[in-house]
Formats: sequence, C-alpha cells, structure tokens
Amino acid sequence: MSVQINPVLGRELRERMRTGRAFVVVGVFLGMLTLTVYLVYQGSDTSGIIEIDLSRQTRLGRDLFEWVLFVMLLLVLFFVPGLGAGSIAGERERQTLLPLQVTLLRPRSILLGKVLASMSFLMLLIVASLPIMVVAYLLGGIRLIDGAKGLGIIALIALLLTTMIVALSTLTKRVQTATLAAYGFSAVLCLIGPIAYFTMAVADGSRGDDVQNPPAVLLAMNPLAIVADATSGQNVSEGGNPLRETRKALFEAKSNNDDSWIAWFPADDFAADFRIIDGERTGMPAWLVGSLMLGVLASLLSVVAIRRLRTPAESER
Amino acid sequence: MTEPFTIETTAPPSPDDVAVDTAIDVAVDAAVVARQLTKRYGALIAVNQLDLTVPRGSIFGLIGPNGAGKSTTFAIIASLLRPTSGGITVMGADPSSKPRTVRRRMGYMPDNLGVYDNLRVDEYIEFFAASYGIPRTEWPALVDGLLELVDLNVKRSAMVNSLSRGMKQRLSLARALVHDPELLILDEPASGLDPRARVELRELLRSLNAMGKTIIISSHILAELEEMCSDVAIMEAGRLLAAGPPRQILERLGGSRSVRVRFEDATTESFTVADDAEQSMLLRRLVVDDGRNVVEFVEESGGLEQLFMSITEGIVQ
Repeated sequence: MSVQINPVLGRELRERMRTGRAFVVVGVFLGMLTLTVYLVYQGSDTSGIIEIDLSRQTRLGRDLFEWVLFVMLLLVLFFVPGLGAGSIAGERERQTLLPLQVTLLRPRSILLGKVLASMSFLMLLIVASLPIMVVAYLLGGIRLIDGAKGLGIIALIALLLTTMIVALSTLTKRVQTATLAAYGFSAVLCLIGPIAYFTMAVADGSRGDDVQNPPAVLLAMNPLAIVADATSGQNVSEGGNPLRETRKALFEAKSNNDDSWIAWFPADDFAADFRIIDGERTGMPAWLVGSLMLGVLASLLSVVAIRRLRTPAESER
Repeated sequence: MTEPFTIETTAPPSPDDVAVDTAIDVAVDAAVVARQLTKRYGALIAVNQLDLTVPRGSIFGLIGPNGAGKSTTFAIIASLLRPTSGGITVMGADPSSKPRTVRRRMGYMPDNLGVYDNLRVDEYIEFFAASYGIPRTEWPALVDGLLELVDLNVKRSAMVNSLSRGMKQRLSLARALVHDPELLILDEPASGLDPRARVELRELLRSLNAMGKTIIISSHILAELEEMCSDVAIMEAGRLLAAGPPRQILERLGGSRSVRVRFEDATTESFTVADDAEQSMLLRRLVVDDGRNVVEFVEESGGLEQLFMSITEGIVQ
C-alpha cells in the first residue's frame, strides 16, 4: 500500500518555500537567537577571560541555554500567529476554498494539512537553531537531555498553538481579521492565567485573608511557565534570567496554596532532574498540566474548525 | 512528515453510496432532478420551490439576472450548500446525504477564479489529482491529457500567476475535469474573457459535450448560450420562470420570430412567423408560389434574449 503525503501539506510546503518570506523568517529567527547568545556572552563575567574557570563557564552555558530557550519561545509566540492565521482565511480570501471543498478531501485532512504545513516550517526553524544551542552545550551546564527537553517543549507549544491558530482561521473570511484575531488570542492565552492569578491575589490581599490563596494551576497554561517548569533541572543560584525568575515565582505560588496535585519544580534545586513524580513533591508536573490544558483547548477549537469546513453547509461561508 | 491518505477514491462507490433517493421521481436519463428545491437565508428566499430536470448529455444553460439564485442552485448541486427544503438528486444521489458520491461524478467551477499563484500549471493539476485520490502513477498522463484538452501544453511549467485570465479559466476547467466527471457545473465561465477566449471556451465545451459530459452553465451572454445550449432554464428572484429547449419555450409562450429574406435583386424583406411550420410555408410560398429568387433566408437572432426579456420582470431581491 502506498502512503502519500497529505496533498494540502505538500502544496503548502511547496508554495511556502517559494516565497522570499520563508527565508526572511528563517533569517530573523536565527539572527535573533545569535544576537541573544552574543549579548548574554558579552554580559557575562566570563567574557574575555583566558583562564578556564569551570564553574563560571558552566553557569554561562546554562544561562545561554535558558536565554536562547526564552527568546525562542517569544519568537514562536510571535511567528505562529503570523504563519497560521491566513491558513483557511487565506483560502477563503483567494476564493480557493470552494474548489478544495468539492474534492474528496475531508475537512480534517484539510485542517491537518494546514497544521502540519505550519508546524513543518516551525520545526525547520527549531532544527536550524540547533547549532546555536550547541554553543551552550559545549560550555557545559546542560546535558543533551536538557537540550532535548527544551526544544521538545518548545515544539509541543508550537504544535498546540499552531493547531489553535489554524482552527481559529476557519472562523474569519479575511486574512487581516484572522491575523488580528490570532495575535489577540495568543496574547490572551499568555496573559489570562497570570492576570487571573494576580487579580485573585490582590483581591485576597484586600480581604486580608491569606488562607484562600489563588490556585497555582492558573499559571500552568502559560507557555513561559510550561517551558520554565519542563526545563528545570541542574540549576545555579547566581544570576537571573526570565526562565529562572518564572520558576521562582511559580514555586512561590505553589508553596502559598494547597493544590497538592500539581507539582512545580523548585527554582533552586541543584539535584532536581527530569522526573514525573518526585519523592517529596508528588503530583502531576505543572508543564504536563499546562500542556494538557492547551491540548484540550486545541482539540475543542479543532472540532469547531472541522464543523466550519464541513460541506454541505447550512449557509455560504 | 507523511500522513496516510484519508480519502477514499480508488475503491468503487458502495451500494449505499449510489443508492438513489426514492423521495424524488428520478428520470433515468436525468443528470439533475430538483423538486420544490428551496433555500432560505433568514427572510431572503434565494431559491424558491425550484423544479428542474437536466437531461443527461445536454448543455443546460441557467439564465437569470444577478441575484436570481443561479449560484445558490449551483452550490446546492455541487454539494456545498444544504437546501432548506425540497429534494434534489445529482447523478442519482442526494448531494446533502451523499456528497462524496456526487463529488466523484461532478466537476464544479465556481464563478470566481481562485487559483494558487505560487504553483506551476502542472503542479496545480497534480494537487487536485491528489485531492481526488488519483494514484501518483497516473498523474503524468492525466496532466498531459488535460493540458492538451484545454490547450495549455505550452504553459505546463509556467507559474499560475503568469497566466492570462482566459488561461486561468481554462486551467480552472482542467481542474474541474481532473477526475473525469460525468457532470460539469460551470458558473459564469466566460465572464471577463475576451472574444477569442470566449470562442475557444465555447468550442472546448462543445468538445466536452461530445465526449458525453453533461454541462450545466450560467452566463450573462445570452447569444452565447443560445448557440451552445440544448436546454435552458430562466430564473428570477429564486423562481423558475421557464425551462426546456429555447425554441420550445418560445413556442409555448406564443412568441413570434422574425425572418429576414434577401432576394436576388438585392432587396431585403422581413416577415414574422409563429413557428417552424409557418417558417417553412413562408419559404415555399416565396420560392415556389411567387417564383422569387431567394439568396438568403435568415431567422433573426435574439430568440433567447427576446425570450428572456419577455418573461423576466427585472425583479431584484
């Protein structure tokens, strides 16, 4: 039995790679990561030294790794809406959706092809960034498993967000509207948890009641929190970066309430490793909880999208 | 990244798929049968209790002013829209309940020219061949045959965005033919074409009809339809006003026609006749009884236009 590539995926990849935009995106992505490495290196006290100081070098390696992951996450959050928003809305705007809908392709195949096309391009970006990650590995402070975990969790977030954005794209007729909606959605997705958490914290504070602290799970769906939690491991106490600061905030949030079913890795645990369940901190890892929440949201939006693509429809869309 | 095809094409339709909708009395030689077909959008009735029979092997023209309900009727036939009430069968199957059965046997060309600009002409056809589940091994012969049919062989490797409007129309037609359908639905295929491209399209449609395909076509250029169509239906404000061979409709409506006769002495006279019999009698009277030398005996054009103007009221909804 011959297995053929999803037709929509094949066409999307071919069209995408023929435009100059693809190379601009790759260039910007790698350029930003390279700039990050340069700035972190320049800002470290290891810069310019000749003698080998393993502990400083290791710290620099870990710092580089976490900074690169953080910037990579920001770039993914920025590029995914741009790459995926026009998926279906663009077909509608170009008036190519109807000819596609009268073929034998099922709505789920169309949606899957679009998601995989966007995801393939994001995977290209992630794979292309490997040489930059290697710099951190060579300096020490991270292991191969740390790098794999970091890139893996970024790829997972990219996949879930891409699915949501492509699904959202079925709801609009214009690319411009879809793009605005996609960026708005991403912003809400990133901010809703922290805003809800801190709003509740302020409300609790105003009542002077410290027993009912807001649940830490509110923060779990935040992509930065997911990456911070999933990549925690051999840590260093000195120096700060966004992932480490996020980890500290999350652990503090966890220690201030009693939702024991969710486990945040501590920010200052040198020995902490990749463990689903820790002897002392039993519960589901927060990154897994957050990923599952995003997964459920992506699944719901996909169901809506498939219904929107299904024909015959009750009205012209 | 591959995904197994989720389309079923190589297998023949199951008996269930080809089950005839018994709710409609389907004429054996009818490609499309609609009974009391109605489509509402809120208060607007786009198609109003339409009774229509399209004979197999015919070129069937659907005529009507803008907003008459032609495109909505086409979308229902093409299994893109679900009717509000009434019944329809397309090649023996109900497009609402068996859309894939209908799509296997029907090719649809919408009124707008949606094409993928960043593909080559041959890649465009291959994409739709894949979307209809045609095995890859058959693509080269299929592309050759279709490009020859629509006379785009020399543009095989050209990018779609470099084609003229007429060429894009022909490419769209090739796309609709990719799975060798028995029924072709063409919504305003000649709009925006220059005279040469129109003539070429007309010839192409005649060739396709000679190959046994049933063609349903809409156009604003009535003279063109008159030349091409064996049957027409005239719609206005969602209602069917008349249907059948144009001449029969004219006769049924008691319309008269004008015959222009040029004699050897360079004089020209016009006569009004009611039907074919009267036209034949006129010719005999002039040549046999009166002994005049007839050089030219021409039925004045404008039959379909005259018919259209006489039975439509210019209602816009």
